[in-house]
Amino acid sequence: MGSLFRSEEMTLAQLFLQSEAAYACVSELGELGLVQFRDLNPDVNAFQRKFVNEVRRCDEMERKLRFLEKEIRKAGIPIVDTGENPDAPPPREMIDLEATFEKLENEMKEVNTNQEALKRNFLELTELKHILRKTQSFFEEAEFHHQQMQDPALAEESHALLLGDEERGGQPMRLGFVAGVINRERLPTFERMLWRACRGNVFLRQTEIETPLEDPVTGDQVHKCVFIIFFQGDQLKTRVKKICEGFRATLYPCPETPAERREMAIGVMTRIEDLQTVLNQTQDHRHRVLVSAAKNIRVWFIKARKIKAIYHTLNLFNLDVTQKCLIAECWCPVADLERIQLALRRGTEHSGSSVPSILNRMTTKQAPPTYNKTNKFTSGFQGLVDAYGVASYSEVNPAPFTIITFPFLFAVMFGDAGHGLIMALFALWMVWREKQLLSQKGDNEIWNIFFGGRYIILLMGTFSIYTGLIYNDAFSKSLNIFGSSWSMIGVSDEEIENNEMVELDPNKTDIYKAASPYPFGIDPIWNLAENKITFLNSFKMKMSVILGVMQMTFGVCLSLSNHRFFRDPLSVFCQFIPQLLFLLCIFGYLVIIIFYKWIAYDASISSSAPSLLITLINMFLLKYTDNPDDYLYTGQKGLQIFLLLVAVVCIPWMLFLKPFIQWRASKSGRPSVRFGTVHMQVNGATEDTAVIMDQDEGEMPPPPAEAMAAHKEEEEFDLGETLIHQGIHTIEFCLGCISHTASYLRLWALSLAHAELSEVLWSMVLHIGLSFKGWLGAVITTMVFPAFAVLTIAILLVMEGLSAFLHALRLHWVEFQSKFYKGEGHQFQPFSFEALMEDHN
Amino acid sequence: MSMQELYFNIDNGYLEGLVRGFKGGILKRADYANLVQCETLEDLKLHLASTDYGNFLANEPSPLTVNVIDDKLKEKMVIEFQHMRNHAVEPLCTFMDFITYSYMIDNIVLLITGTLHQRPISELITKCHPLGSFEQMEAIHVAATPAELYNAILIDTPLAPFFVDCISEQDLDELNIEIIRNTLYKAYLEAFYDFCSQLGGTTSEFMCKALEFEADRRAFIITINSFGTELTKDDRSKLYPRCGKLHPDGLAALARADDYDQVRAVAEYYAEYKPLFEGAGNNPGDKTLEDKFFEHEVELNVNAFMQQFHFGVFYAYIKLKEQECRNIVWIAECVAQRHRTKIDNYIPIL
Repeated sequence: MGSLFRSEEMTLAQLFLQSEAAYACVSELGELGLVQFRDLNPDVNAFQRKFVNEVRRCDEMERKLRFLEKEIRKAGIPIVDTGENPDAPPPREMIDLEATFEKLENEMKEVNTNQEALKRNFLELTELKHILRKTQSFFEEAEFHHQQMQDPALAEESHALLLGDEERGGQPMRLGFVAGVINRERLPTFERMLWRACRGNVFLRQTEIETPLEDPVTGDQVHKCVFIIFFQGDQLKTRVKKICEGFRATLYPCPETPAERREMAIGVMTRIEDLQTVLNQTQDHRHRVLVSAAKNIRVWFIKARKIKAIYHTLNLFNLDVTQKCLIAECWCPVADLERIQLALRRGTEHSGSSVPSILNRMTTKQAPPTYNKTNKFTSGFQGLVDAYGVASYSEVNPAPFTIITFPFLFAVMFGDAGHGLIMALFALWMVWREKQLLSQKGDNEIWNIFFGGRYIILLMGTFSIYTGLIYNDAFSKSLNIFGSSWSMIGVSDEEIENNEMVELDPNKTDIYKAASPYPFGIDPIWNLAENKITFLNSFKMKMSVILGVMQMTFGVCLSLSNHRFFRDPLSVFCQFIPQLLFLLCIFGYLVIIIFYKWIAYDASISSSAPSLLITLINMFLLKYTDNPDDYLYTGQKGLQIFLLLVAVVCIPWMLFLKPFIQWRASKSGRPSVRFGTVHMQVNGATEDTAVIMDQDEGEMPPPPAEAMAAHKEEEEFDLGETLIHQGIHTIEFCLGCISHTASYLRLWALSLAHAELSEVLWSMVLHIGLSFKGWLGAVITTMVFPAFAVLTIAILLVMEGLSAFLHALRLHWVEFQSKFYKGEGHQFQPFSFEALMEDHN
Repeated sequence: MSMQELYFNIDNGYLEGLVRGFKGGILKRADYANLVQCETLEDLKLHLASTDYGNFLANEPSPLTVNVIDDKLKEKMVIEFQHMRNHAVEPLCTFMDFITYSYMIDNIVLLITGTLHQRPISELITKCHPLGSFEQMEAIHVAATPAELYNAILIDTPLAPFFVDCISEQDLDELNIEIIRNTLYKAYLEAFYDFCSQLGGTTSEFMCKALEFEADRRAFIITINSFGTELTKDDRSKLYPRCGKLHPDGLAALARADDYDQVRAVAEYYAEYKPLFEGAGNNPGDKTLEDKFFEHEVELNVNAFMQQFHFGVFYAYIKLKEQECRNIVWIAECVAQRHRTKIDNYIPIL
């Protein structure tokens, strides 16, 4: 636990890397993932940095790879994930990689252009084929009309007209026509436009091509239509052609006589077949190229990204005056300094440089980042804490306590052994199949949340089984494991027959075996009792207050650990002690009298027991009667007045003492008591570091405004501001104690709600099925059970589980952590290839 | 009015949040200061990658050209606009459609002028602003006269009602096209103005101000550009949009103007326009009148974001984004042509 209790001790370190070894060293550090580099030239533009060209080359490589990846995906070829994790290649290999990608890209582009041309050709021929086929029917129709026109009976009627025409024109009118193909969705506007532009003097016939055609550029499937337009005269012809062009309709030559059309159709068919074979060959070639690329593309991506990350990091470094070495500053955990040194040595060896890289620790006033080393079990719980706020550097981390208290408080609310068992089994399955499930990473966000919290769910489930057994509640039914301590021996048969309900009086020894209470949890007989809820409410409410006060007191005690760690005795005396006294005098006392009442009052005198709630209220109102039955014990009045006095005294103690002492200290000219972050230096500053510090003063960019402000604050003491600050804290704590204690009653409320809900589900659903007799009962139970199961999982497990989870989270964030946790730190974000690759996946 | 604001978020809250978010991504002075330091277009790309533009150029092979940058900038803006348009409900839909009409007018004029000069339509289409594209656009070269243009093409577009004033049997020549453009624009501005006034509330408050400025700017520019052309004063006065602050006295005075100084004298009477004319000049180092107008427009549009619950932010955002595109393209051109003396002539968005 030691490592989780406080965040890792961090140090700012300066790295001196030989220019030729810098690349290899950073590569090693990236594999290690334990240092966070600081940007040493924040004022320099992205494109004015030293290694911008290399970064740009990597961008270009990535672009080519993305292009290839897109083509591979489009071709539907699976990308092999071997799980291989190659090291970043040395800079000289970059040129080879670039050349490879360049070659592949060019080849790909060439193949693509070829294929596109072929496909375009193919598309044109197919469209022509369709035109020839479809227009056939148009022409046949026209032929038919023509014959009708020549039908003598009809001809007579139109004779006059035709005659007139022929006389004017001299010969029968000849209609021109164009045939083409257009996208189906553009057809309506096309038709309307034709009509408008040609004033209705054209005749358009269209029919749909049933099979979608492939667009040669995008590869999408598009639906098209064949159309044929009849018109008269050249002027209309140019106009129609213009409109066709405007609507991207492709026009094809179409012979007028059926014989020519047939001939052309045969020609087109043979050409299509020829083209198909060529197209297939190109496709095969392309496929081969892509398959070979698909084998390597993942490794290439990793390499390109690693190189880019390294150069990106190198851009953060400063160049030494002599140009011989790069200077970097980084945060790193003190415990891992050895490993970092080792990585640096490895990097230097790889690069073949003779001069070793140097790592120097520096002292700084800046707050170091917070780094908690977690494993797969603790990371979930640390995540719960970090979601509220990252711990300030080296303050007490609530995560290790959360590991136990969180599932426990959850279980107090969720308490049902049956539901807990299902939950625990689900989590156990996730933990058991961890490796397989991890390897098949899904994009399902909800699943990922559950999977990420599998250990939390496992503990929540296990604890729920425990509390469920304590409450003696499994799917709202009780388990009679040890045999109830109540018995019906003393009740006469007559009494049972005559009454619907029988009162069991615990004072009668034959009914209640006082010597042997039910050994574990609640006696199962309570499940049948009419006053079950009253009994459980009293028990659960008291339990909630006890648990709450315990957790809050523990939180206040943790603040002592913080004050001691930061060497802040003033806060111990002016904050911790009065806080603890205040809490214990009021609510600690309440807990004590709860236990006292449980012990001191048994069944025989329980009717005369005073109410705890009234006692507490009267304690504040200073209302004391003469009736001895209103007192729990003798001397209660004196003790309560004393406790109240202590609590009241604590308020001004918290409020004024600390600002007053600080004010006096600042007036007398002594340096004020430090209560900020104290930098913990394990090894005293050696002469080496001191020298570096001096250099640093000159080079370092001016400290950020925040740091300056903090610095100023230390020098000038503002009494008013401190008083207001302290006032807010005091009021928050005092009111908080009361409202937080009340807030813990949610433990009772939610557990009651859960128990009631599951009982309703039992009696309204499954009970109906079970109450039928014989074969009908079997059938109905079979039908009802799925409903019961689904509702149990959806409502009681998922919904109730989420609500209990949220409430447990709140109890930790607000009620527990407000007593000691600042959460003003910033996360340690090491430069790590692993994290980088995860980002990209 | 207060009720309108009460219900604003039901329909438009998401989009207003979105547009404000987009506006937060508009380049700041510091970004421009960095951009003008770029040596090559690659530098420009690298810096833009660190802004809200992100990786919008990442898939473009080197070497970059200004055209590619311009297209991508426009593409990004159009995607944003279309996204908002697709989520909009009435009356915001109509409002946003109105914004696109001005681009449609520009596209039509561009296409007609292009076909007049015998340019192939496919080449012209690439130059059109994607925000103003419409289906019948490519068939525009069918039309030889304004009447044909109306009957065959525009009648199916939302621009039809604006075109009514332009139908005449004249040929389409350079001057007529300009007249058509300005008449269309006039009708459009007036219709937009009416629409916004009907909406009421803060929307009309801001939009009327913005459209008044737009109308007056057009009036000034038309007048100044008409000097030395065959356009008669009478025809000229017909082109002035009549929804601005200049209407009616200022427009009457402008209609009589014969040279730049007289235009300037008209502007003297208006507190908004006086400083614009005073600060403008054609000498090197001076800002042109056009730039001054742009600056004023930017200021106006930035102010739109000071108030909540109105549609003006959508209009203002598109205008600001357009200005930003112009700025980036200007800087990119200067960088590409190694012509750095005028690189600072961009108009920063406050």
